[in-house]
Amino acid sequence: MEKDFIIAGFGGQGVLLAGEVLANAFMIDDKKVTWYPSYGAEMRGGTVNCTVVMSDDEVSAVQKSKADYIIVLNQASFDKFTSWVRKGGSIIVNSSLANVKKTRDDINYVFVPITQMAQEKLENIKMSNILALGILSKVSGLFSLEILEKALNNVIPAHRKNLIPKNIEALKLGYEYDLFNL
Amino acid sequence: MVVECLTGKKVLMKGNYAIAQAAVLAGCECYFGYPITPQSEIGEYLSGKMQELGRAYVSAESELAAINMVIGACSTGAKAMTSSSSCAVSLMQEGISYACTDELPVVLVSVMRGGPGLGNIYPSQGDYYQSTKGGGNGDYRTIVLAPSTVQECADLTYKAFYLAHKYKNPTILLADGLLGQMMEPVEFKPYPYSEIENSDWALSGAKGREPRIIRSYGPLAEDRCEFLEKLFEKYKAIEENETLWEENDTDDADVVLVSFGSTSRNVNTAAKLLRAKGLKVGTFRPITLFPFPSKRLAELAKRVKMFVSVEVNMGQMIDDVKLAVNGLVPVELVHKGVGAPPDPEDIAAQVEGLL
Repeated sequence: MEKDFIIAGFGGQGVLLAGEVLANAFMIDDKKVTWYPSYGAEMRGGTVNCTVVMSDDEVSAVQKSKADYIIVLNQASFDKFTSWVRKGGSIIVNSSLANVKKTRDDINYVFVPITQMAQEKLENIKMSNILALGILSKVSGLFSLEILEKALNNVIPAHRKNLIPKNIEALKLGYEYDLFNL
Repeated sequence: MVVECLTGKKVLMKGNYAIAQAAVLAGCECYFGYPITPQSEIGEYLSGKMQELGRAYVSAESELAAINMVIGACSTGAKAMTSSSSCAVSLMQEGISYACTDELPVVLVSVMRGGPGLGNIYPSQGDYYQSTKGGGNGDYRTIVLAPSTVQECADLTYKAFYLAHKYKNPTILLADGLLGQMMEPVEFKPYPYSEIENSDWALSGAKGREPRIIRSYGPLAEDRCEFLEKLFEKYKAIEENETLWEENDTDDADVVLVSFGSTSRNVNTAAKLLRAKGLKVGTFRPITLFPFPSKRLAELAKRVKMFVSVEVNMGQMIDDVKLAVNGLVPVELVHKGVGAPPDPEDIAAQVEGLL
């Protein structure tokens, strides 16, 4: 089995870090995994994305033009990546920063006001990326919150370990969001 | 950034950081470099780590300065390296030619980006010629190692230091923007090679012995031809002892797909797709680009019906494949000019179109 993930948003929203946490989770779960960023003349406020490929066997290709699960944290990424979702795949949309609009009927839309939740429940919009991973855990069923917590531990540097409890809170908030009450 | 770890533990890391960390573990004592995308993380990591370990890190004023600083350090027998990319590696060609004739263990990490000229910062394999044929003057060879995964970025960095010192010859680790920027789990095992004795040539201070001079052999040298013959005997020994490649499903293959570096992952997948269609397709990946595994390709050419060179450039390694195959069977090209390697489905479709 191989699954492809894309996380996209504004530079500064923690898109690459979320991908790194996700990729670490698969590594901890003994999967083959690759992480590849969009890179170029990127800047804060511009768009950025990364691709994570998880596989039981060797990863087939590092860069993909389709994905099974895509998280979009802003409108520009929603516009760009909707067509990249594989038939039957899911797109998790940050409805705080993107319009709730379905243009395809062969994919699963998950609209969640991610930025708003991070602001209201965690009092920190910088937690949006990790909150989104909690949603992805629920939607995909491919990795547990426990593994994500271990992955956070790998990624967050020693001098920032005090932030781990807050990040775990963000993961849970995303995971426990009532996806059926949309 | 993770701490150094040696056995049994995998860490998720960019290829650039894996190269830098492996260089530290290989005992690299001096790094000289000038930043350029897509390899700047190498210098970034080493700028902190080398200082922490009491080793030398110098942010050079130019690539020309960097390669000559490496030459200076290597002449003392030290393990020293620089890293750069494409248009900036062009600036180092004079130094590489000199290091070959000086017989110095220079390690150069070249993380390819688009060219020619200033080019662009996207992945590319456009410096196959630059690395294996060289842009410096005269008859010389550099050992060239081409990793295809982040794990190999680490393992072949170890090997680059070993071979450079074993043969007193510049050795290039040839990665690309995709390998440099992507993350993958990697395990850092202890440096597996023995240390090479250099007390018989290194400039270590002449107290108690005759002074030594390391320099490019000049116009007054009387053994001009002899010197070159000796140099090429060394290259022959390198070919005999150090040629590395990986091949899969070549036993019954009608078609063999040849590729190197990051492209090989997609090529392996393409071969599986073609096998699933009942086509007898194998894969061949040179790990050393010099020495090139010509002998093995020549053997395969006796029973394979076609070779296809798959590259992210306009077709460079295909020349060496053709030389090895020597006209016995057709050698075709599937390529993309620049960027991430073509999708496995594209490669498979193009190969099928050639049959």
